[in-house]
Amino acid sequence: MANREKEEKGREAAAPGNAWIMGALAWLVPGAGHLFQGRWGRALLLGGAVWLMFIIGVLFGGHLFGFTAREAGTSPLLQAAPAIANLGTGGLYLFCSLLGLNFAELPEQMSRATFEYGNTFLWVAGLLNYLAMLDAFDIAAGRKS
Amino acid sequence: MTHLLVMMLFAAFVGAVMGVVSRETRQEQFRYGLKVFGEFVAIGLLLAWGLYFLPL
Repeated sequence: MANREKEEKGREAAAPGNAWIMGALAWLVPGAGHLFQGRWGRALLLGGAVWLMFIIGVLFGGHLFGFTAREAGTSPLLQAAPAIANLGTGGLYLFCSLLGLNFAELPEQMSRATFEYGNTFLWVAGLLNYLAMLDAFDIAAGRKS
Repeated sequence: MTHLLVMMLFAAFVGAVMGVVSRETRQEQFRYGLKVFGEFVAIGLLLAWGLYFLPL
């Protein structure tokens, strides 16, 4: 147990500042963390999957969740989980948030058959980007080949 | 686009990312990605048929 803790502490200490920058970059622009490390294949696959899922989610009529309740009777706590998932898309989420794009639940959007698919694609795009972010961090820290 | 195709598209994206981040060699990544994709589709179809027979 003690050895394991020491090992983990050693790993944390070994992570260079570069790894944090790569992780942040991977979150901010999906695919960029790998791209800056010369991992073209991974960048194309991971970044491409996140970008495409986000675009498809929007085209399907999905909407993004904010951290504050926008409608009367809804709890901010219920919004938190999907908002955290959406936040994983990084810059895409921030861009939409700054411009106020795609946050409203419009009736014509909700009546579409693909509305829930769209939401799911948007959530999972964010969750997959969290994984891609950790992958970029691990590669930069030398924990992965 | 049918519901099945949307589910398969979703499974393909998830399978690709899961394969790449959780395995080291290209062959392992491809195999694991394919496994995740297959599991998503198979479980999705099983659940769909299971729900079909339920009087909801």
